[in-house]
Parts: sequence; C-alpha cells; structure tokens
Amino acid sequence: MISCRNLTRRFGEFTAVNGLNLEVAAGAICAFLGPNGAGKSTTVKMMTGLLAPTSGEVTVCGLNAAANPLELKRRIGVLPEDLGLFDDLTVEEHLLLTGDIYGVPRQETRARTTQLLHALSLEHGRRTFAAACSHGMRKKTAFAMALLPNPQVLFLDEPFEAIDPVTAKIMRDLLQSVARHGVTVFLTSHILSMVERIAHQIVMIRKGTKVWDSAAGDLPQSLEDHYFDLVETPVVEELAWLGPSRF
Amino acid sequence: MARPVAILRALALAYRRDWTAFQSLAGNNFFLITAFLLRQAGTFVYLIMGLVVLFPLSTDPLRKIPPSRLALWPLDRRERWILRLASPWINPLTWGLAALAVWGAGRILTVGMWAAIAGLFAGVFLISAVPLPSGNGMWRRVPQFPGPLNQLVRKNLREILTTLDFYCALILSAAVLAYRIFASGLPPEAFMAMTVLVVGAMSSYAQCLFGLDGEGGLSRYRLLPVRGWQLLLAKDVAFLAVVILLTLPLAVLPGIGAALVALAVGHAPAVERPRPQTRWRFSTGGALGNGAIQLVALTMTASGIALTSTWFLAPAVAAWAVSVWWYGRDVERVLG
Repeated sequence: MISCRNLTRRFGEFTAVNGLNLEVAAGAICAFLGPNGAGKSTTVKMMTGLLAPTSGEVTVCGLNAAANPLELKRRIGVLPEDLGLFDDLTVEEHLLLTGDIYGVPRQETRARTTQLLHALSLEHGRRTFAAACSHGMRKKTAFAMALLPNPQVLFLDEPFEAIDPVTAKIMRDLLQSVARHGVTVFLTSHILSMVERIAHQIVMIRKGTKVWDSAAGDLPQSLEDHYFDLVETPVVEELAWLGPSRF
Repeated sequence: MARPVAILRALALAYRRDWTAFQSLAGNNFFLITAFLLRQAGTFVYLIMGLVVLFPLSTDPLRKIPPSRLALWPLDRRERWILRLASPWINPLTWGLAALAVWGAGRILTVGMWAAIAGLFAGVFLISAVPLPSGNGMWRRVPQFPGPLNQLVRKNLREILTTLDFYCALILSAAVLAYRIFASGLPPEAFMAMTVLVVGAMSSYAQCLFGLDGEGGLSRYRLLPVRGWQLLLAKDVAFLAVVILLTLPLAVLPGIGAALVALAVGHAPAVERPRPQTRWRFSTGGALGNGAIQLVALTMTASGIALTSTWFLAPAVAAWAVSVWWYGRDVERVLG
C-alpha cells in the first residue's frame, strides 16, 4: 500500500532523508521512529504529496505521490503535527467541512460526525471554536477529520503526544479497528510504550537513514532497548545546583 | 519591588511589539484614499478611524499575562497592587490622555470631547478586564452558503468580521443609512462616492486574504483535496457577501463591481506575498503601488457602473474570473 524506493530529500547541503526503501502492506500499522530532526516529518510530507522528493519515488494506494498529489489527497487521511485547524470554525464545522470537501453525502457526513464525536468523547465541545479548544480536543478534532472520509491510508504525525491516557486508549483502539478493516496506518511517535502495543511493523530512522525495519514480533529485545541501541542513547546531565539550598 | 519592575518591563516589551494598530494604517488603502483624495475634508473619517483604532489599543496591558501565570508568580499583596496601578501607564494612550488633561483641556479640545475620549478609553479598559470571546464566538451564527465550500466561506466571513476594516466601513455605511432614514436630498453621486469609500475601506483586506488563517489553516489547505481556485473562490465569496451587505444602503451594483476589481488586483499580493495579519487591526496590504492601482481601478469601475451603464459590471466580472483562475494556480504552487 505504501512503497518507497531510494527516497531522498535534500535541503541545500543538508540531506534530510537518504535513500529510504520501505514497503508497508495494506491493513498494517507501521510505526516510524526516530529522534527529532531524523527525517520523519519530511518522509511523511513526501508520502502525502506535500513535498517532492529530490530523487527516488514514493507510491501510495498505487499512485505516485509527487505526480498525483490531488488524487492522492482524496484517498488518504492525515493528522499533521500542527493539526491544521482553523481558529474560526467549531469542532463540528471542521468535520462538516471535511465531508463536503471529500464528497461525502451530507446526511452521511452528519451521521459520521455524530459517531466520531461520540467515539472520541467530543460531543460536549462540538460547538466550541478550535481557538478555544484544549490541545487534546484539537488533536481529537484533527484525528476525526482524518477518519471521516474513510481513507485507504492514514498518516499520523505524533498522534499520542500531549493527550490524556483515556484519549490515547480511545485513539489506539480506533486505529486497531480501522487496521482490521483494511486501512493502512503509518504513524510517527516518541511514545514507545504505545507503539509497542499497536504496531505491526517497526521502522527506525537516524539522520535520514533507515537503521531498522522489521515486523514488531521480530525485535531482538524490548522496543525501548532496541531504540536506544540503534537510534540514540540517553545521556543524563547532573544538575548540581538542584537541591535544598536556595539560589 | 524588583519583581513588579521585571514584570512591567516584560509587559512594556510585549506592548511595544503589539503596537501594530497605527503601523497597520500605513499599508491600508483607506488611509491612502482619505489622505490623497479627501485631505482636510477627511477629518470626520479620521475621527472614525481614530475611534476604531482606540478600541484595541485601550485594553488593559495586564491582560497580556495569562491569569494562570500571574497567579503562579510569588508576588505579595503589595506587589500585585503596584502592578495593578502601574501597568496602565505602559499604554501610550494613557500618557496621551494625561497630557491632554494637564495641558490641552480648554485649549485644544473641549472638556466634553476630552471626557468622551477618556470615557471610551476607560470603558474599553474595564471591559477588557472581563473575559470576552476571542471574536469568532461573536459571529457564531454567520449564514450558510450552498456548495461544498460552505464551511470555508463561513470561516472566511468570520475572519473578515474580526478586522477593523469592516467596522470602519460599517460606520460609514450606517452613517449613510441613518442619513437616508432621517434626512433627504442626498444626490446619487454621493451614494457612489460613499460606495467607493466603503469598498476602499475594505480593499486592503483583498490584498491579504490568507493573513488570518495562521499556520494551522495554511497547513490544512495543503491537505485538502481542492484546487487553488476553489480556495480563492471561498475567500472572494465571503468578501463579496460583506461588501454587498455594506453597500445595500448605498449603491449595490457599483459596490459589487468595485469589490470584484479590488479582488482581481488584490489576488497577486494575497497569494504571492502573503502577510500574516492580526485580529482587531486594520489589514496591512502589500506595496503602495498595489493599493493605488486597486483604488484607481475600483473608483473607475464604480463610476462607470453608476454614471454610465451596468454593462461596466461585465469587464469587472471577467477580470475577477481570470484573476481567480490565474492566481488559483499560484495558490497551489505557493502552498506546495
């Protein structure tokens, strides 16, 4: 469903993604892991047709992402890192907008909106403007927008960041449910415990280069240990001034 | 004392950075049209602009600190009082009013005028201390529009309604409406002139159509499977809806024609050189040349329709349609 061949993106002298080869099967949940600045978001942008690769190609739903960005956008759902919400629309209006734009019949849009608001515990905030929503509500709204047109592939950039445990559990269950229905899920995350629970495929990237790609069950050790071994090792700095003395 | 001083210093810095209301006048077509065409006769219009600008500038500077943050800081009762009493003096308007009170009263301004300005300032200052909706809440019930772009048009409408351009144009339009109701004998040319003034007041917004969408909005535009011309169309429909409403008591057809050419000229800077805008400020357009071309074109179009024939509307519609198509392609390129 997602296929990258020698995918490379350079910004001047800097190579953000370097010769990435990747295959994600239909109905799989693929977790794309790496530290900040490793090239995850750049890869997602290329996969969703928002950024043209310098070389190589990416195919999603059988479409070349760089050549058919508009057709691709009709078939995928995206939860961008910045959520992409309009301050002047309410939660409900965002979902109605999505239905209208993706050509979902109005009655069906209303039914799906009601179901999504209920499933994501957003009913109380349906008439709240995005500008007045909490971060969790904004994230759930953007997630609902990604789901509403019933996409073939879901791209989620940091879906579990800065949300409460209940919302995280709801989103996790929904993702597992959509994957069972054949929707491919491609997500980036720093929350390894969550990734360990839902991902079928683990891909790790470091400085733009893929360093691991396997089924989740094929990891030789725990995901956290493997990540620290392959991607980056945490270094704890001693802050000697912390303690009971003042200033 | 060190803590209140540190907070006041930070507040002054934030206030200075936010001092965009007067700066925004420099790039606003309405300022151009009144400065170059009306000159001294524009005093009344400047008074309206002054009042409209006064509102956002009269807010309590202490409101810039989030209440949760203010509550967390280790300030004692005395320090909080110092902050409360000293913070209004960060606002230059407070100094201006004080100066008028000490030296100007009775000489430059009448006592009644000074009291009216001070009263307005004090009123807005007090109101700003009360939590109010950010602006979009005020316009929850904007009308529905047919078609798949409905919600985008409604969003764009709400954005326009949080600019000072709209309120300036509204005051002008309402003034003419009141004149029509309570007096008579206004010549048709006057309606045309006021229509030009109203559309001129709105025209800078046509140069920064994407200015209030923010990064989140632009990011969503990139994800939506719509063409660039559709995004521009949604912007333009909202703009036209507002102009039609404002020119109803004036001259509607010349108003529509003027708005169409204002949009046709405004698309270039709006798409190719997008400028982020601030709510409750005048829109800041692009280069001076763009504003001048816009004003000349909209004046000619409105005059042509009002004084010659409604057929002048046809080239305005054609110019606008070509502009939407042409710059729609640019929208796709710029958004990436």
